Amino acid sequence: MNQMTDLRKTDNRPMLRVSDLTHRVSLETDTLTILQGVSLEINRGESVAIVGRSGSGKTTLLGLLAGLDTPSEGTVELDGSVISTLSEDERAKLRARRVGFVFQSFQLLPALSALENVMLPLELAGMESPQQRARELLERVGLGERLNHTPRQLSGGEQQRVAIARAFASDPVVMFADEPTGNLDNRTGQAVSDLLMELNREQGTTLVMVTHDEHLAARCGRQLHIEAGLLTEPETAGEPEI
Amino acid sequence: MAASGKLMSVTRDWRERDVRVVLVALVIAVATVATIALFAGQLQRTLVSSASSFLAADRQLEAENGLPIPPEWLDEAEARGLETGQMVEFSTMVFGEGGFQLVSVKAVSDEYPLRGDIETQSGNQAPRDTVDRGPGPGEVWVNPRLLRLLELNIGDTLEVGNLELDITRLLIREPDGGFRLSSLAPRVMMHVDDVAGTGVVQEGSRVEYVYLFAGAEPMLEDYYHWLQPQLAPSHEWEGVQDGETFSRSLQRAERFLLLGGSLAVLLAAVAVAVASRQYALSQRDTVALLKTLGLSSRGIGGLYLRRLSLWGVVGILGGLAVALPLFWLLVSLLSDVLERPVDLYLDPAAVMPALLTAVVSLFAFAYPPIRRLRSVPAMRVLRAQPGESGREVIPDMVLAVLAVFGLVWMYAGEFTLVVALLGGLALLLVVLAMLGWGMVAVLRRVQGGGNAWRLALVGLYRHRRSSMAQMAVFAMTLMLAATLVLVRSSLLDDWQAQLPENAPNHFLINIAPDAVDDVEGFWHRQGAPLEALYPMVRGRLTELNGEPVKEVVSKDERIGALNRELNLTWMGSLPEDNQIVSGQWFGQGQTEGVSVEAELAAKLGLKLGDRLTFTIGASRVTEPVTSIRTVQWDSMKPNFYMAFPPGGGLADMPATWITSFFLGPDQKLALNDFSRAFPTVSVLEIDHIIDRIQQIVRQVTQAIEAILALILAAALVVMAAVVSATLRDRQREGALLRTLGGRQSLLVRSTMLEFALLGFVAGALGVVAAEGAVYALQAGMFEGEFRWHWQVVLPVPVIAGVLLAILGRWQLQPVLSVSPMLLLRRLE
Ligand SMILES: Nc1ncnc2c1ncn2[C@@H]1O[C@H](COP(=O)(O)OP(=O)(O)OP(=O)(O)O)[C@@H](O)[C@H]1O
Ligand SMILES: [Mg+2]
Repeated sequence: MNQMTDLRKTDNRPMLRVSDLTHRVSLETDTLTILQGVSLEINRGESVAIVGRSGSGKTTLLGLLAGLDTPSEGTVELDGSVISTLSEDERAKLRARRVGFVFQSFQLLPALSALENVMLPLELAGMESPQQRARELLERVGLGERLNHTPRQLSGGEQQRVAIARAFASDPVVMFADEPTGNLDNRTGQAVSDLLMELNREQGTTLVMVTHDEHLAARCGRQLHIEAGLLTEPETAGEPEI
Repeated sequence: MAASGKLMSVTRDWRERDVRVVLVALVIAVATVATIALFAGQLQRTLVSSASSFLAADRQLEAENGLPIPPEWLDEAEARGLETGQMVEFSTMVFGEGGFQLVSVKAVSDEYPLRGDIETQSGNQAPRDTVDRGPGPGEVWVNPRLLRLLELNIGDTLEVGNLELDITRLLIREPDGGFRLSSLAPRVMMHVDDVAGTGVVQEGSRVEYVYLFAGAEPMLEDYYHWLQPQLAPSHEWEGVQDGETFSRSLQRAERFLLLGGSLAVLLAAVAVAVASRQYALSQRDTVALLKTLGLSSRGIGGLYLRRLSLWGVVGILGGLAVALPLFWLLVSLLSDVLERPVDLYLDPAAVMPALLTAVVSLFAFAYPPIRRLRSVPAMRVLRAQPGESGREVIPDMVLAVLAVFGLVWMYAGEFTLVVALLGGLALLLVVLAMLGWGMVAVLRRVQGGGNAWRLALVGLYRHRRSSMAQMAVFAMTLMLAATLVLVRSSLLDDWQAQLPENAPNHFLINIAPDAVDDVEGFWHRQGAPLEALYPMVRGRLTELNGEPVKEVVSKDERIGALNRELNLTWMGSLPEDNQIVSGQWFGQGQTEGVSVEAELAAKLGLKLGDRLTFTIGASRVTEPVTSIRTVQWDSMKPNFYMAFPPGGGLADMPATWITSFFLGPDQKLALNDFSRAFPTVSVLEIDHIIDRIQQIVRQVTQAIEAILALILAAALVVMAAVVSATLRDRQREGALLRTLGGRQSLLVRSTMLEFALLGFVAGALGVVAAEGAVYALQAGMFEGEFRWHWQVVLPVPVIAGVLLAILGRWQLQPVLSVSPMLLLRRLE
């Protein structure tokens, strides 16, 4: 918690500002409201855990925060841009430069080697020779020897480490993780979350993470509780000001 | 086993994409192969029957010994359900007001013609009409020239031997008027029952009995089988296929259909192979799961065998449900082109190859990977590499390729064809392997970057395994399609060259030597210049090296040329379309020797230097064979079995001249003036025959186009199936790239580029391999000359590139149209 304070960036605009976010999906017969009137702010360098029961709308919220989807109502402002009004391509551009992702199910491309998977966002960002950076990152996550292995040849924990390396490759300012340890056993999960927190600290990234793991949630600077689409925890909890 | 039985569920299977692709591939396979096989059978029958009118029947039995055949032969034919008819041909003098004239009589029975029709006129100025039976007893139909020569009119009587017959019609053409130049004398057609009354035909007079037969092909064949042992050497059984003029065109059309069918078999096999293999590989996780659930490897094998069989049945039924209406549609198109109804001929045997193709390729490609998986520990199944290692795949592929070529062989039964296609494909794969190796080496160096080109190249490299597999299938598919396109265009070109727009369609025969210049002048003024003129002397080949020729040549050989008088000629230079196969053409000033047509020479067993003796009128001429040459019988120009040098053996013989020329329909009236000016010259009008051939060519062309369209459609579907086989991976990748910040436009461009590159390379390889196959086919099957077809070779790679880019774009659509959020949810 103290470390967080030290690493806080000085820019005083919040990294994420969400106001009155509501999300509905239409089903065959009626519409389902998944999120209702969510407002929150997340500051630069903060690490926030989103917790709640299964089906409460965590993944949905994370997706909206990251601009993977557009909300039915309300606005999401990420690093100064109101992403809820951007076009899909503009959001993609934003993601390429500022956003990193870690998924519960790793989402590595099976045909690509570890190195190639990590190079992917670098290439998309137009980097000329992405190999060097990708190699460094894989070494950083302890997979320097497994560069040319494909996901099927790696264990779950190793795959998630590749995914973390890929998430940090493009030097994002904000990192989203959806249950990054959900598919891993306790010890491996521990190692992976250690790595995630470490890299987050090193890079000074803002971290927004959905997790069921109370331990991991406790390591974050703040916890947001979601229940049936409503944010129940006042967002001031345990949060020092700037 | 019971457990595996519960795992079978058609509805559940149907929800799997790969299963649907397999079923669609099966339906396409069965539908194309069955439709083409059915249609080929139909077309062949239709063509044979439409060419049959040249014989006025399906078969003719000619008795050249001057004796009627035993009546039992006809009884037998009728007992077997064949239609029969009879003709008697002889020459005689006829008498009219204006004098007498040698005519060639054809006496026909009521049934004549069994095929085709007769064109007549009821008066000089009357319109031409067609009838389907000849003159009745007491009537006679005559050639218009004869009326002029004898100064007779319709309604007058004509004295034929002891009988006076009423002239009721002008005979313009008979279906079997043919090309025989022997009939120099004007034609008279009468009823066969009147022949006895004329008293002209007696024991020993020169007369030819011809019998006509028509009926279903198998019945005709059975009948011939029965008849053959009883035939004498002087009996000649003739079918359309044996006719010199049409055989080549028909044969080629048949071969084209065969080729089309074989290509359909191959394409179908490729489609099913790709789909079923893709399915088999995608079952890896399921197999692992079944194993962890405790299913034995036998149980797994049984489960999949039953599944595959079930789809086989469903796919086949679906394919037939498509093939039958499609076949019906093609046949109705055919009858539109023919302007007459075509009997639907549904041969159940024709669908067999389709069924075998579907079943064999389904099992040959889908079962081996599954069989291998079932013996592998569950853990290794889960951990195995995506795709499979080359060593495992090779025996599968060998087995599968053998199976497929077994199929083509079974379908075509044609060694050249199988070898040409196999060779073409093998060549293609070798080149592809080399190229792939080179490409990987080059692409390895490409570093990623934000632009579409780099991303496309990197994509090709990263997915080299599936890229190469896709490229192989695209290239093979394009090769097969291009082969058919190439064969089609060279076939059509060839036909076009054989029968150009203004091929000679009239012959002038019996031109007296001193009238040659005038005749030439006449037609020159009419704007219808003559082809080369040849002198013609009629004679019989009587001795070979001093022995009577009938004794030298084995009795079994039925050689028409020996029984008739031959047309002999002399010429200084070899006609352009003849080719010397051995010996030498006459040198300048050479007067010795004779040049013999190659097929006749082969039948007679002639060698260079053999001495041939000809009886011409009362004289005899003996000359050594100095050359053997081939002749284009279907060139519509005078052709000769025997050619002498100018001033050679024929120098002092009485000759008349013969030539051919083109006369357009609007110039036909000039024939009347010509006949008045040159009453002794015979005009042989073969324009209707040429029209008929051209009509056949048009029919075949249409059919070929239809089959080509079918094959191209099948090829397109195969490629779409291959593209969509990787859909799941691509969607996943696309979704991921989008979450990682790839812009839609970048994704679209790089994917389209990647496919365009694949398509371009595959197209280039495919079309070159197709040229190779066509070269082999041309040499072995179509007897044409090979040349590069730039008009096909150049556009194919481009078209393939564009096509695949479009297919790639289409495949990408689902990735683009939904939010990446949803994709991540769905693909988790
Ligand atoms: N596109 C959609 N269509 C229909 N229902 C949806 C859709 N997206 C989400 N939902 C529903 O909304 C609710 C919230 O989903 P969400 O994935 O956000 O939950 P979650 O909190 O992440 O759950 P978990 O912890 O199990 O991952 C769920 O009931 C889910 O079924
Ligand atoms: Mg979730």
